[in-house]
Amino acid sequence: MSNVQVATGVINLSEGDPGLVDEIKELGGEELLECIQCAKCAAACPMVLAGFSFFNKRVIQAILLGLRDALLDDSSIWACQSCNRCTEVCPREVNPFEIIQAMRRVAIREFALPTLSIEGLKSLYDTGHAVYLAGAGSTRAKVGLPEKPYSTVANPKALKELQAVIRQTALADLGIIPMDESDVTETCEV
Amino acid sequence: MPRIGVYICHCGENIAGAVNVEEVRKYAEKLPGVALARNYLFMCSDPGQELIKQDIRNGLIDRVVVAACTPRTHEPIFRKALENGGLNKYLLEMANIRDQDSWPHWHDKEGATEKAKRLVASAVAKAAFLEPLEDRFVEVAPASLVIGGGVSGMFAALDLANMGYKVYLVEKSPSVGGNMAKLDKTFPTNDCSACILTPIMVQVGTHPNIELLTYSEVESVEGSIGNFKVKVRKKQTYIDWDKCTGCGDCVNACPAKVPNEFNEGMDNRKAIYIEFPQAVPKRAVVDIEHCLSCAKRTIGTKPRIHSKTGEPILAPCEKACKTGACDRSREYNPEGEVIELNVGTIIVATGYKVMDKAPFKEYSPQSPNVITAMQLERILSATGPTEGHFHRPSDGEKPKTIAFISCVGSRDKRYHTYCSKVCCMYMLKEARLIKEKYPDTNIYIFFIDVRTGGKDFEEYYNYCRDLGIKMLRGRVGAVDELPGDRLRVRAYDVDLGAPVELEADLVVLATAIEPAPDLEELGRKLGITCGSEGFLKELHTKLYPVETPVKGIYIAGCAQGPKDIPESVSQARAASSAAAVPLTLGKVVVEPLISEVNQRKCTGCGTCVQLCPYSAIKLVEDRGRLRSRIDEALCAGCGVCAAACPSGVITLHGFTNAQIHAQIKALAC
Ligand code: SF4
Ligand code: SF4
Ligand code: SF4
Ligand code: SF4
Repeated sequence: MSNVQVATGVINLSEGDPGLVDEIKELGGEELLECIQCAKCAAACPMVLAGFSFFNKRVIQAILLGLRDALLDDSSIWACQSCNRCTEVCPREVNPFEIIQAMRRVAIREFALPTLSIEGLKSLYDTGHAVYLAGAGSTRAKVGLPEKPYSTVANPKALKELQAVIRQTALADLGIIPMDESDVTETCEV
Repeated sequence: MPRIGVYICHCGENIAGAVNVEEVRKYAEKLPGVALARNYLFMCSDPGQELIKQDIRNGLIDRVVVAACTPRTHEPIFRKALENGGLNKYLLEMANIRDQDSWPHWHDKEGATEKAKRLVASAVAKAAFLEPLEDRFVEVAPASLVIGGGVSGMFAALDLANMGYKVYLVEKSPSVGGNMAKLDKTFPTNDCSACILTPIMVQVGTHPNIELLTYSEVESVEGSIGNFKVKVRKKQTYIDWDKCTGCGDCVNACPAKVPNEFNEGMDNRKAIYIEFPQAVPKRAVVDIEHCLSCAKRTIGTKPRIHSKTGEPILAPCEKACKTGACDRSREYNPEGEVIELNVGTIIVATGYKVMDKAPFKEYSPQSPNVITAMQLERILSATGPTEGHFHRPSDGEKPKTIAFISCVGSRDKRYHTYCSKVCCMYMLKEARLIKEKYPDTNIYIFFIDVRTGGKDFEEYYNYCRDLGIKMLRGRVGAVDELPGDRLRVRAYDVDLGAPVELEADLVVLATAIEPAPDLEELGRKLGITCGSEGFLKELHTKLYPVETPVKGIYIAGCAQGPKDIPESVSQARAASSAAAVPLTLGKVVVEPLISEVNQRKCTGCGTCVQLCPYSAIKLVEDRGRLRSRIDEALCAGCGVCAAACPSGVITLHGFTNAQIHAQIKALAC
């Protein structure tokens, strides 16, 4: 749901999904019902400043009312920066960030994720970094850094382990990104 | 020549911040009759009062002027100081140089100082004419009247009765119990209302010190603290309550149907009825307006005789009654019976009324499935129209989706601007009771603020949200009727920032708490006013919350404003202890600042008799003609008569013509 739709479209509560609350609680948003919509989290959230319509507080209210489709049709939840400010300031220990994460899990189950996220996931699988600048090596070298950071990128064994872990997650079942077991570091330009 | 002592208070910075106190003192020193003038930081403090006492003891002064704050709070303190110093306490005059001077003229120091001088001068001028007066005492009748038999009134009555005083408890309905008797469960502990209330009702009904006057109303109140004369009308029940056992046989026999007030009009009662099954006293009443006069017999007429059997043809109720309590041939006075009580103190606990849904056209009040919260309370109650089965009114189906709408008629300039205070909690309670019993019910509460400020209330609210009751901030704009007995609720969810709509099977309106009907009229009879909200006004919001401007009359419960049960009970018990003080003392002091007629000069014109708001003046035969006389027990010292008397022969002690004229003259120069 875009900003315009939020402003004009009437949300039919009767079509709300009462099961969504339990689903979110199961997927990591245990403290969902503690939220009293005080909006302190929203005051701290960069998503609000960037003008996204479903930021932490509104995501929570939408979940409480079971507005699954509204949330899935909107890309806001993917804009969360994982900065965790909301979790730090929330007076009711709701962990809003965890709820956004849980909502992302719901979205992934339903394949409702933006292309950008698929690329990020693929990069995570391939390199161990959701955002990885392949051409950064020479720049790094210029400032005296090793071309590859001391992470999975420079450590094929660690990357293999990470990939094995990812293959055990729901991501593999859903088949959103290709997950072959070949030594990807070699095929991938890193 | 009087020797006046003038004491000017700094009141910290309150007065001294605007008034040059030393300048006023120097000025006062030179006024005629002034023996000395002093100033002090806090005159009302111990050392401040000591100044006055010492000057009296040393024989320096015999009149006192205190220039300070308001006499309303401080006059008693300084009177006491005079008394302790050995001077008649009515030889005191106060000049209010704070409220009437330093505060309003804070930014004009020079003007404030000049005004203080004028006010002091006028007080000094009056003080020169002060005369010693003696306090009067009035005997207190050792009994109390409690008006209203709800939970507040019952607790007030029980407390006083347990202290050993006679209590008359007047209740307009046939039974005590009030609104609380209609509730299913009560927050925040969810006790069953009947289970905790019925024993209290029984105690009230059986207490040897309580005379229960149900189905009765206060007609008139005269007199003052210690000695109120109250006329109470016991309404006509058309049943001999001495014989009635409350068996209900008559009720079963009666064919006439009338909407049942106790069930908020959701089912019918009979024309002859017992208010509710747990009623105290459990007695039948005939609602004569709806009586069908069966067997063609209006009340008070003899039965016709059956032509064949020779037996009298009785009405069904009469025939059913085994005790003879229902005897329609008796002569009944439709006016009932007026009895007169003499009581020392009065407690008003007339409770509240829940607002009707009819005015809220935007919420489809014509739909049987749009109900008030009080109606829902009756639906949920085991003694209600559905015997506690949760049915919606239109078709007896169990509602799947319920919308509660809060602040209906509250915080609304068109109806009541105040917060009704209990609605948030009772909505949560009703939602919780339903959700606990039927977890698959969808419940939405539309609110503008959730106000749960009470002991254990926030926990209650959190628990309800944990149950999955959905809360939406946003006042509902419309409820529309849809085919199939469904209702569409339209609102704007402020938290979502989007308009929302909901199809519901039942809509519950949390309508406002209103003053009981005729509260204003009762207030007039008692001499107490109602505030702009229509509830009785207490003497002082913070310090005298159960007292009223009329000494000896106290208030408790929702008569004073919306309250929950814990608060109503606390206030009732506070009112009963306040009302017990005069009863315990046996006599009360009455200020001698009352009016007196010089009867020898009175022409008997009767002007004062008409004007006295306390009916304290009568014309009496004196030396061959009518002359006015003031009953000092009734006179409140308002001064209306003294000001109005065309012959100028009424003296208001403490405010004599000489005193007032001197005061005005000093102000004018
Ligand atoms: S998540 Fe926490 S901070 Fe945010 S609205 Fe809810 S209670 Fe407030
Ligand atoms: S973690 Fe996400 S939701 Fe929380 S403040 Fe940061 S961007 Fe907003
Ligand atoms: S108004 Fe004065 S003159 Fe007239 S009856 Fe009263 S006291 Fe007497
Ligand atoms: S002062 Fe006069 S008018 Fe006022 S109560 Fe007394 S008698 Fe009545």
